[in-house]
Amino acid sequence: MLLLILKRIVWAIPVLFIVATISFGLMRIVPGGPFDEEKSLPPEIIANIKAKYHLDKPIPEQYIIYMSRLVKGDMGVSYKYVNRTVNDILGDAFPVSLQLGLLGLALAIVIGVPLGTIAAVNRGSKLDFLSMLVATVGISIPGFVTGALLILVFGLWLKLAPVALWESFRHMLLPALTLSLSPAAYLARLTRASVLEVMEKDYVRTARSKGLSSSKTIVKHVLRNALVPVLTVLGPLTAIIITGSFVVEYMYAIPGMGRFFITAVSNRDYDLIMATTLVFAVLLVIANTIVDVLYTVLDPRMQVKG
Amino acid sequence: MKFLLPLLAVALVLVLVGAGWNQKSIKPEPGCLRINLGTEPPSLDWSVTVDNYSFDVIANLMVGLTQYRNNLTCKPSVASSWDVLDDGKRYVFHLRKDVLWSDGKPVTAHDFVYAWRRMLTPATAAQNSFLFYDVINAYEFNSGKLKDFQQVGIKALDDYTLEVKLRRPVAYFINITALSPAFPLRQDIVEGFADSWSEPEHIVTNGPFLLTKWQHEYKIELTANQRFFEGEPKLKKIKYFMVPEPSTALALYENGELDFIDNRSFPTPDVERYRTSPMYHNYPLLRNNYVGFNVTKKPFDNKLVRQAFSSAIDRDVFPKILRRKEFPSSCWIPPSLMGYDANSGPNFDAARAQKLLADAGFPDGKGLPPITLLYPQREDVRLVVEAMQDQLKRNLHVNVELINQEWKVFLATCRNDAPQMYRSSWGADFPDPETFMSNFTSRNGNNHTRWKNKTYDDLVERAGGEPNQAKRAALYKEADTLLCKEESPLICTYLASQNILVRPWVRGLEFNAMDLQFFKTVWIEDSSPLSFRGFSRGICRGSSKFESIKLNAVKSRQIPRIARNDKGCRISQRSY
Amino acid sequence: MSTIEQLSTKRIESGNPIITVWRRLKRIPTAVVAWVIISVMVAMAIASLLGVPLTPYSFDQTSTTLLADPSWQHLMGTDELGRDLFTRVIYGSRLSISIGITTAFVALVIGTIYGATAGYCEGKVDSLLMRGVDIAYSLPDLLVMILVGVLVGRGTQGILFALALVSWMGTARLVRAQFMQLKHEEFIEAARACGQPVFPLICKHFLPNAMGPIIVALTFIVPSAILSESTLSFIGLGLSPPACSWGTLAADGWRSLRTHPHLILFPSLFIFLTVLSFNFLGDGLRDALDPRTRLKK
Repeated sequence: MLLLILKRIVWAIPVLFIVATISFGLMRIVPGGPFDEEKSLPPEIIANIKAKYHLDKPIPEQYIIYMSRLVKGDMGVSYKYVNRTVNDILGDAFPVSLQLGLLGLALAIVIGVPLGTIAAVNRGSKLDFLSMLVATVGISIPGFVTGALLILVFGLWLKLAPVALWESFRHMLLPALTLSLSPAAYLARLTRASVLEVMEKDYVRTARSKGLSSSKTIVKHVLRNALVPVLTVLGPLTAIIITGSFVVEYMYAIPGMGRFFITAVSNRDYDLIMATTLVFAVLLVIANTIVDVLYTVLDPRMQVKG
Repeated sequence: MKFLLPLLAVALVLVLVGAGWNQKSIKPEPGCLRINLGTEPPSLDWSVTVDNYSFDVIANLMVGLTQYRNNLTCKPSVASSWDVLDDGKRYVFHLRKDVLWSDGKPVTAHDFVYAWRRMLTPATAAQNSFLFYDVINAYEFNSGKLKDFQQVGIKALDDYTLEVKLRRPVAYFINITALSPAFPLRQDIVEGFADSWSEPEHIVTNGPFLLTKWQHEYKIELTANQRFFEGEPKLKKIKYFMVPEPSTALALYENGELDFIDNRSFPTPDVERYRTSPMYHNYPLLRNNYVGFNVTKKPFDNKLVRQAFSSAIDRDVFPKILRRKEFPSSCWIPPSLMGYDANSGPNFDAARAQKLLADAGFPDGKGLPPITLLYPQREDVRLVVEAMQDQLKRNLHVNVELINQEWKVFLATCRNDAPQMYRSSWGADFPDPETFMSNFTSRNGNNHTRWKNKTYDDLVERAGGEPNQAKRAALYKEADTLLCKEESPLICTYLASQNILVRPWVRGLEFNAMDLQFFKTVWIEDSSPLSFRGFSRGICRGSSKFESIKLNAVKSRQIPRIARNDKGCRISQRSY
Repeated sequence: MSTIEQLSTKRIESGNPIITVWRRLKRIPTAVVAWVIISVMVAMAIASLLGVPLTPYSFDQTSTTLLADPSWQHLMGTDELGRDLFTRVIYGSRLSISIGITTAFVALVIGTIYGATAGYCEGKVDSLLMRGVDIAYSLPDLLVMILVGVLVGRGTQGILFALALVSWMGTARLVRAQFMQLKHEEFIEAARACGQPVFPLICKHFLPNAMGPIIVALTFIVPSAILSESTLSFIGLGLSPPACSWGTLAADGWRSLRTHPHLILFPSLFIFLTVLSFNFLGDGLRDALDPRTRLKK
């Protein structure tokens, strides 16, 4: 297992390098630059700005400058937030997203997995139908609408939770709930399908026929195996959730990093785009490694090779 | 297992209830004004920053040589008086001696010279430096052709006397001295703390409030400056939140967590809900919206076609669909600025439009090439162009294809190869027709129409240097008529307006005509709840002022309103 | 424990598989209802594409009754420009439905081939392919989509291409995981021991048994594609107005939640119904495809 983790770390380096290179390339190909503004600036000023950020140099040279800085751990400066370094910006924003994301993720798992299991166990019943109906609502309504609805109902009408802002634990409730709805629905449906699949397996039937009680079978034999596909999506899902959600942070005015995935691209804030992309890639690699380790724990027959 | 779901539901409800059952009554926070800035100000470095979010904060942190009055003129501030010499080519400012920085040192002429030098230094890369190109050698220094700052036309004659020399008489120059890039700076602070000088721990300011807290992307707090030379402001504290989504900000307002919201926090559908509320106020902004033609592309190389299109648009439809009391206008100079005349632009006349199109050789639109209209993706803009598409179809029988682009792509397209028609807008840099009219001169980088007209250039140039106000107005009016009625490289559509909600306990809020949110006169009445009638008089000193705001007190932003608006977010921003 | 022999023969179906599946599907009521709803939606989309007038209005016809509430005249009310919302919802179905189905299909094909290769080969190939997925995942969607918009052009193809480009990775990972798990199942090992060639092995044994989670994943791509399309139009890659889709109608209407709820209610309802139907149809299909399922009456 240690070997697996080690191998993953070795693999991660070229992956991150390629991610950085491709996103660097994409940014320069996409039309529009960081200083294209509504008001055209005189060429002299444009020249000053470009010189300041090395944007006047040929692209290969910019790439080398960027990469050599990156290796030293310096992710550059923001063009939009003048005087702030990218390290600074992410240092402030990432912990916020992480807190919210972990709560959201926990909610999603706590809601999704049991919901799916219940539906599968009671397959074809009203409970199954209802669970899947709820799950469908969860995924077919856009995040901004659920956010607006929750704010309206729980914040304004019932006054059960704060409307928005980021002040205390209470302020995390509605955003975490909004954040968890769609993943919870996804997990519920996936768990249901997977549990159904496993329940038809011979060893489960054998176990049942041998007289193991239903709920024991489920926990001991079914869930353990059924969680493999669920784990597969949990890897990327975790990375997505804890790097923050644009919609949720935007709706609830939360100072997380999710918003940079959209705004940094819109502003062509090159260094910030690179940084968010890399942070996401790193987390993705970590999450996937953990998932792979868990695979082997859940199913010892599977020896995942790095 | 079966009971897990209902259990969970109950648990969730319990958590929510346990965590939050304290129904607050809606009341003010004593001595504190809570407002929504909408988004993180990119920088509080007033020499460099270019957007109105930053400026909303800076306006309460700093004062410059002059300051705007409510009627769009400048009043003395750090400069107690000034002399205009050499036929308007030399200004000498006499500085007050009692203006102190927040660390107790006096504000001197050298602080201004340093600020201007830093702003004009090429490496600073200040986007606003072009506003100062009329200062002798400023352009040369800023473009790196001149290395010696001594030759630039700004000089501290002594600690409290500042001299500025201009290349030519500039009628609107005094307006520029009230802008944020002209504010003084402390060399020791800026150079001592390098990139972090504008953070709360280091920043040194001279205005009514002090920057005490800045949680990036979330909140800025200002507290009263006891050393402010006009006297300590009544408010103890201002909290600027950064709530990007207008409907969320409105919910916070309704929940009593914000005291004052404007366009950026006010979704259009909700403006309707509050239209009759005494908390609601509305006034026009100095931002004109238009659709430009690329006159180098067929069929708009023919001015008859352009006139036909412009005459076929009934501007009255815009306030109906945008629902924020926009002011329909077919001319380029906004009302309230000199040279405005509603008749400078064409009137809506479908029959005449059809005749013009026929005269141009396209009767009933026959023979026209396919026409595209490019616009940046945003909700209100989409409605505008869809309405125009509809009108052109009905009134002129012309089909226009609409194309939307992401904001930066849109800007790049307009710059490199503007399509036949494109939608844009312009907000005033300073309250003078110059900021609007210079847009369409031949050499201006914002003139994506490619329209070049010597007569027009000449009129605008002459107006810029004309000291006689009446003559200036006439020149601008002539240019406006040439632009909108005769040559028509653009279809002017409407002027944006500001919509606000204010809680009754916010007193002394002055809607100065520039939409600069100066809060030094504001206080919070936190004793007994006020009647609404008393309130609506209270919030703007002298309701007559509010009446007169109608159009001669049009608001504007002081600095270039770079629309860094997050296209992605559809922030309804005041600047639109 | 059954013997290896029994296990490997049990999976082999007899007769025409399509007819069998159909026959089985018909026995699941939710699947039938779902099938009917989807058919109606598709029929609506086709009718609108062919220009069959289902309402007395055209989708871009403005009127002076702005933002009217639902009435007999306008079943779903009107929008900010006075256009009939029902007509626009019908018009919107063509894009939303085709985007949902096409994206899911593309994601299925690319994802399955990619994931199957990785899962079946394991080892070095697998590592390499999965790092490829990691890379594709990490690239900012928005950047990719803007670029596609510039390269492929606007309009339906651009949207479809962009969405397909960012939605196959999930399926690939899922298929891979399923394959890796199945590889160690006794019946597969048995079949391999019997000397079955690779391709039929995959088609007969791996795919049908991996179908459950894959179909679920697909039914998720449908709504997420429909919803992402609204994001696309938001960043300027979307449709040229006055054209519309359910996604754009929802994105344009949600702020009216408190004042004109019909603007958000109806587009959302149609998305919801479609997604729900796809889910139940998917579940039905899974059951019908899976030979092990014993359908209860």
